Amino acid sequence: MSDEEHHFESKADAGASKTYPQQAGTIRKNGYIVIKNRPCKVVEVSTSKTGKHGHAKCHFVGIDIFNAKKLEDIVPSSHNCDVPHVNRVDYQLIDISEDGFVSLLTEDGNTKDDLRLPTDEALLKTIKDGFAEGKDLIVSVMSSMGEEQICAVKDIGPK
Amino acid sequence: MQGFSDGAAGAGVGVDLAQLQSTMHTIEVACTSIQMHINPTAAEATILSLSQSPQPYKACQFILENSQVANARFQAAAAIRDAAIREWGFLSAEDRRNLISFCLCFVMQHASSPEGYVQAKVSSVAAQLMKRGWLDFKPEEKEAFLYQVNQAILGGHGVDVQFIGVNFLESLVSEFSPSTSSAMGLPREFHEQCRRSLELNYLKTFYCWARDAALSVTNKIVESDAAIPEVKVCNAALRLMLQILNWEFQNDTNSMKAGINVFSAGIRNDTASTKRSECVIVQPGPAWRDVLILSGHVGWLLGLYAALRQKFSQKFPREGYWLDCPIAVSARKLIVQFCSLTGTIFPSDNGKMQENHLLQLLSEILQWIDPPDAVAKAIEEGKSESEMLDGCRGLLSIATVMTPFVFDQLLKAIRPFGTLTLLSNLMCEVVKVLMTNNTDEETWSWEARDILLDTWTILLLPMDGSGGDAVLPPEGKHAAANLFGMIVESELKVASASVANDDGDSDYLQASISAMDERLSSYALIARAAIDVTIPLLTRLFSERFARLHQGRGIIDPTETLEELYSLLLITGHVLADEGDGETPLVPTAIQMHFVDIVEGEKHPVVVLSGAIIRFAEQSMDPGVRATVFSPRLMEAVIWFLARWSHTYLMPLEEANSHLSHDYERQLQSINSRKALLSFFGEHNQGKTVLSIIVHISMMTLMSYPGEKDLQGLTCHHLLPTLVRRKSVCHQLVSLDSWRDLANAFTNEKAFFLLSSANQRSLAQTLVLSASGLRNLEASNQFVRSLMVHMTTYLVELSNKNDLKNVAQQPDIIMSVSCLLERLRGAASAAEPRTQRAIYEMGISVMNPVLLLLEVYKHESAVVYLLLKFIVDWVDGQISYLEGQETASVIDFCMRLLQLYSSHNIGKISVSLSSTLLSEAKTEKYKDLRALLQLLSSLCSKDLVDFSSDSVEVTGTNISQVVFFGLHIITPLISLELLKYPKLCHDYFSLLSHILEVYPETLAQLNSDAFAHILGTLDFGLHHQDGDIVNMCLGALKALASYHYREVCAGKTGLGSHAAGGNIAEGIFSRFLRSLLQLLLFEDYSPDLVGSAADALLPLILCEQGLYQRLGNELIERQTNPTLKSRLANALHSLTSANHLSSTLDRVNYQRFRKNLNSFLIEVRGFLRTM
Repeated sequence: MSDEEHHFESKADAGASKTYPQQAGTIRKNGYIVIKNRPCKVVEVSTSKTGKHGHAKCHFVGIDIFNAKKLEDIVPSSHNCDVPHVNRVDYQLIDISEDGFVSLLTEDGNTKDDLRLPTDEALLKTIKDGFAEGKDLIVSVMSSMGEEQICAVKDIGPK
Repeated sequence: MQGFSDGAAGAGVGVDLAQLQSTMHTIEVACTSIQMHINPTAAEATILSLSQSPQPYKACQFILENSQVANARFQAAAAIRDAAIREWGFLSAEDRRNLISFCLCFVMQHASSPEGYVQAKVSSVAAQLMKRGWLDFKPEEKEAFLYQVNQAILGGHGVDVQFIGVNFLESLVSEFSPSTSSAMGLPREFHEQCRRSLELNYLKTFYCWARDAALSVTNKIVESDAAIPEVKVCNAALRLMLQILNWEFQNDTNSMKAGINVFSAGIRNDTASTKRSECVIVQPGPAWRDVLILSGHVGWLLGLYAALRQKFSQKFPREGYWLDCPIAVSARKLIVQFCSLTGTIFPSDNGKMQENHLLQLLSEILQWIDPPDAVAKAIEEGKSESEMLDGCRGLLSIATVMTPFVFDQLLKAIRPFGTLTLLSNLMCEVVKVLMTNNTDEETWSWEARDILLDTWTILLLPMDGSGGDAVLPPEGKHAAANLFGMIVESELKVASASVANDDGDSDYLQASISAMDERLSSYALIARAAIDVTIPLLTRLFSERFARLHQGRGIIDPTETLEELYSLLLITGHVLADEGDGETPLVPTAIQMHFVDIVEGEKHPVVVLSGAIIRFAEQSMDPGVRATVFSPRLMEAVIWFLARWSHTYLMPLEEANSHLSHDYERQLQSINSRKALLSFFGEHNQGKTVLSIIVHISMMTLMSYPGEKDLQGLTCHHLLPTLVRRKSVCHQLVSLDSWRDLANAFTNEKAFFLLSSANQRSLAQTLVLSASGLRNLEASNQFVRSLMVHMTTYLVELSNKNDLKNVAQQPDIIMSVSCLLERLRGAASAAEPRTQRAIYEMGISVMNPVLLLLEVYKHESAVVYLLLKFIVDWVDGQISYLEGQETASVIDFCMRLLQLYSSHNIGKISVSLSSTLLSEAKTEKYKDLRALLQLLSSLCSKDLVDFSSDSVEVTGTNISQVVFFGLHIITPLISLELLKYPKLCHDYFSLLSHILEVYPETLAQLNSDAFAHILGTLDFGLHHQDGDIVNMCLGALKALASYHYREVCAGKTGLGSHAAGGNIAEGIFSRFLRSLLQLLLFEDYSPDLVGSAADALLPLILCEQGLYQRLGNELIERQTNPTLKSRLANALHSLTSANHLSSTLDRVNYQRFRKNLNSFLIEVRGFLRTM
């Protein structure tokens, strides 16, 4: 059991680390991976061999979780890849300022005012309209490798 | 667009010529603009409106006769067909006859028209109309039409008309044959009756007409030196004969069964072989004997082909083009078809007549394929291969109808060797050609090899289901051994050559095995036919390569040898053992029956071969050898071989004497050698040692090949599950140290956490399953507990952490949690009565953690899915065993899970700039919901399958309410958008229809939003294009409506307010009555649905009789034509009154209503749909 614990606990306190090494063969579709120093969501994994009797290598297609650009990488499947630490936090929306910033309520009662409104039309409209109608909106903020972005919104107003 | 109709039928007024001309013009313009691609939709609509207008026949006939645009004529013919099929029910008998004879006359008169496709269309329209009226026409009416056709075929009106006549018969026969008939909106019985009538009364006559037509022109063809039009007739006639011989004769089947004993001498009766090969067996029955056999017909056909062949080969000795000209192709096809003639058409004379018949054919076919080397050489030099391929097909056909023995004897009458030798020589030549020009393109040699392999397979496959391989005569065995040697040589050559062309990711073991599987199993059959030669051959080939590897280690690049070994392992695996397909495969009979003189286990050739391979595999344990020799690809083949081999040979079931009861003397001889073979790897001999070696090798592939998913997948999904499949092996497994090591490594080794998720799941399942090998219940449960306890503890500890929210998001923690959930899921899916307790406890202990994790990972869709799948599998495995109290707590847990999931997802809008990620997110949601639906279905099953000692109701749990509550929670998540996923849609509607059928009463308790949503989806499903879905929705409707009707009859409220619908909204039943009637009368649907639609319609009508009357009256009022009006009124009346329909909902009544609805629809849909 000691080996396993070592494996699980070693970096439990390293919450601040931006990425984490993981064997390429274990990274799955829908997981995350760092390609060209960008955090990506894996949308395709395929494996091939180097020569008929060689070793396996993984071919990843990832999509940058912030700017949606497609990136690709090939790694021998026994080597390590970087996996980004992707965090999502829900905040209640308290205000939208005229210059396009939002004001969010954090769990400990402070406000967070350094986030812009999203650029996506649909989401933007939902947030603005919902806010104008006085609905209670919860926004999810996704952060990884030093970047942040609003990625979802939810109306928790009375049903 | 109503202007196309030529007014009411029988009005007797001459239709305005100008109007006809303008219609023709419109259609011509539309046809031209379709061709030029100018506004094609509008043009299509114009053409469609012609065929949909009432009685457009005059206009169509006018177009056919006068239009200069061929396409317009084509469309007019199509419109006649559509309109006439639709309106057939109320055309007068004379109108019907006139339409057919118009079409027939038209094709005859325009027989020489250059636009053949218009002629073909008109003639097929005539054929379809003829079939539509087939059961109504009097015999003399049919005779009149057919007389006209016969006159044409006799050739008195010229070659073109003759051709048209034959062509018409071709259309007619294909209309009457069930597989090629066109839809007519009529029940299947109609098509079946037509088929039977044609087969009994006309088919043979048609055949004779075709034969006579061919006879009448052959002299001219043979004598003429130029291409003459008679060729066209002859070709068409040959095609028609072939088509008739392709007919699925059914009148012969009864007599076949009766006469089965008569045909024991060499003619095979097994129906299994007909299904396997693509070769159609022709069994027209005794009535055809005079035409096909006694009249010398075959002789004439062979003579014709031979004469043409000789003529052309003299004229163009160096060119083979004529081999591919249509008449040669048709003649050869017909000859091949004659090879598969069998059944009661031959008298019961011990197969003499059939043998003569086949010999006659074989001696002609022989010229196409013999001598094989010369034929192959000529083809390689540019001669057409089609004759040779047809020759191979002929052999295949003969093999299909004869036993191997008679097959072999056939040729001996004219040659010094048997047919098997010829077959073997022919195939050797083909394989040689394959070897020399090994390309990826499909050449003739590929095709020839496949046909010839099929022939061997047909000959060698066990003739009856009970095993007992076909026994070949000694000469045949020799031929098979030669051939197998040649095949292996070629496969090895291909393998070593393929190393050079490195197309990387192209072939993986699984892919290459399934691509080659059929071929490999045919090879195996050939090898087993000469097993005493082929096993030692394989052993020799292996040891040569092992030696080469050892001598050349570190000096020579071993890749070619590795690839050869890879091929050899696949071939040997197939020769030695069969694929189990879920059953336990026995040692192949050929192997059991041979090697009779060997009584010492270790000298048995099969043991020698297996031992050599296992010893070789064992060398992979040495890291040095592994690095140089055991590439991942070779290891894949080794693991695959070990899995296949151990399934058959490792500790085989001792069923000693049951199998060989037929032949006493042989049995006594062979019993010792069988015993030697079977017991060698048995429990008390080498079995345990070999098993331990295999477990060690498996573990090594998981530890020492990091990241090789395919190899590890084979070990986890193929080899290890094979080991735990049989109890006797499980028994030994759990006592092995190596197995305990594997279990320990599974819980502790880091390498095992790096396996891919599916592999971990499968490994957990396998390990849990092996617990059944332990002596008692307690030990089994203890084994599972100690296997899983680390994992559950970890999850519990993790979920109890204060900073769970932060810790959980770390990638390494996500990975560990995912791994553990996969393992739990694997264990949960291995639930068996023996280990149920331990797995139940395992699930209970992580209930809270699961909910906590669902909360913290709500954005991590991949983890959420794993959580849900684990719960689904766990509930599915446990639910039927649980006692009342346990059920209550599991159900409570499931409801909390559903609520939590729903609260996270309802009303959520995620966005991403990437459309790929958006569609991924949608797919994930779909998978989640599907899992939740499966969870509800499992809960439902508690009411059906329950092994617990007390009833669920004792603790006050009502499954139906629980499931409805669950549905209540998740239906808002199921949007119509998501129902576009076919599997989700299917699951959702099957759950819905099940629930509504079993617990309709609880539906009434749903709140109005949920109720409306469910009915909304039901309405959606009713208009789905998948017939299955519609069927399920109709089932649900039937259940709902009949429940309500029964309740109301009993004086209760039934669905109460939902049914009444309040003041504004219509009640649900009126809504569905409307939409169902709309569907049935005016929309497109498969005729198969009419039955279940009737079942739903009857209770709906009974529930809403007032509305039904009103709708019926509206329909009648809308009809302007008085004749049709009264027809409709009558039809509506008899829908509810014919066949003594009553207002009860019993089986008999449903049956009656089905009949009524069927005839109602046939009666009225024709004219209703034109409006």
